[in-house]
Amino acid sequence: MTRAELDAVLARLGLDVPEAERDEIAANTGYAEKMAELVKKPRWVGAEPAHTVAFPKG
Amino acid sequence: MVPDFLTIAEAAKLIEQRELSPVELVESRLKRIEKLDGQLHSFIRVLPEAAMAAARTAESEIAAGRYKGPMHGIPIGLKDIYETKGVSTTGHSKVMQDHVPTADAFSVTKLKDAGGVVMGKLATHEFALGGPSFDLPWPPARNPWDTTRFTGGSSSGTGAAVPAGLVLGGTGSDTGGSIRGPAAYCGLAGIKPTYGLISRAGILPLAFSLDHAGPMAWTAEDCAIMLQAMAGHDPADPASASPPIPDYRKALTGDVKGLRIGLIRHFYTADNEADAATRDAIDAAAKKFEEMGASVREITLSPLAEWAACGVLIMMAEAYAIHEANLRTRFTDYGEIFRDRMALAGLFTAADYVQATRRRRELVDELDRAMAGLDLVMTAAAASEAPKIDEVPKFAILERPSLTMPFNVTGSPAMSVCCGYSGAGLPLSFQIVGKRFADATVLRAADAYERAMPWRDRRPAL
Repeated sequence: MTRAELDAVLARLGLDVPEAERDEIAANTGYAEKMAELVKKPRWVGAEPAHTVAFPKG
Repeated sequence: MVPDFLTIAEAAKLIEQRELSPVELVESRLKRIEKLDGQLHSFIRVLPEAAMAAARTAESEIAAGRYKGPMHGIPIGLKDIYETKGVSTTGHSKVMQDHVPTADAFSVTKLKDAGGVVMGKLATHEFALGGPSFDLPWPPARNPWDTTRFTGGSSSGTGAAVPAGLVLGGTGSDTGGSIRGPAAYCGLAGIKPTYGLISRAGILPLAFSLDHAGPMAWTAEDCAIMLQAMAGHDPADPASASPPIPDYRKALTGDVKGLRIGLIRHFYTADNEADAATRDAIDAAAKKFEEMGASVREITLSPLAEWAACGVLIMMAEAYAIHEANLRTRFTDYGEIFRDRMALAGLFTAADYVQATRRRRELVDELDRAMAGLDLVMTAAAASEAPKIDEVPKFAILERPSLTMPFNVTGSPAMSVCCGYSGAGLPLSFQIVGKRFADATVLRAADAYERAMPWRDRRPAL
């Protein structure tokens, strides 16, 4: 994500991030993008989320 | 003269036999805090008057024949996200520095009911996420083995205070490793119990679906004693389970014969490569379990990065939702590490969060299948000895996949166990993990290992 893209997202979020911190955040957005990619797997349309841990039966 | 170092089990035995007075024990810890905590910064608030009053009450009760059990008269500390009636609970943050709860957290009530003496509130990374930070109202805790080193986090104050003998046990919370990380870097024992075993009610949340409360103490036996006091159903926590609570201490037979252990070696040799000392120490621990009669076989799971991505994404999204309103209006009242991590968290979409929770179900199933023929799995708790406190990157939780997060994703009981010391004299640890609600098996294995090895005999030289 470019610095300009980050600035736009932060404005939409309403976060008043100090100027001195923005470049470093922009430089690390790749980690968030990679994580979002890693959790996307080919899966059946009905694959359920796990809102809580499934407990053992019985 | 009260010794500088006592375990809960040792002190409890002396107290029960009336060879040690809770008042003397608490006084000795207050003196030790006064002497040493200027170096360690493990406490952000010491409560001497309340602690002495509780100690005198314990002493009277015991003298009257009303001994409550092994927590009675034991000095403990509370991570400052555990709410305490009439005592500030801040999350180590300017944002909540004026927050004075009207009630104790459920688990605090249980610890007090068991006779525990609360010595004060312990340092944490800001809201159990951002740290070590030097721009908060209180300094970060320091590692008692070397005060230039990081304690790990976020239960940093508990990680520092227990090995230093300032308290005999303390509370932590663990959303991605916040009990097990400081336990590993500071060389104590810390168990993240099964999700739902200890109530989260009255504990400031980081991420609802991953937050676990748990004990930290010098030994697995002490963790068992504290867990016994803290576990139990609480209707105020929607995730609270109501399984039968076994006698955790009775489960500590010293025997691991027949236990089947899976070693997840690729987590620390390939996915997040540990240094040689750590790898060797964990491999030696696995060998020790075999010598003691357990069977150990290597198993392979999905790459660690997949587990970490799932957990970190869920954690960041839930934390962002919790703090969203304050982030919009008081962004710079948070410390830089917390707020900048939250700025990144804001980039995740609703769909990203749902995909992560779908991945979570798959990963829970994966570990359940892998453990079908096993009782326990073990792997690294940290990839190295504690780093220098000023060399921890702001986005450390994103740069290298967390070794502890997989078991927050699954809700499994997981414990850090000290397995030696580095060349610099810093603790090394492994992690042992059980099936959900088989916390007693985790404690049994950890305790048996501790008894077989000399690592519990060494304490920081302060």
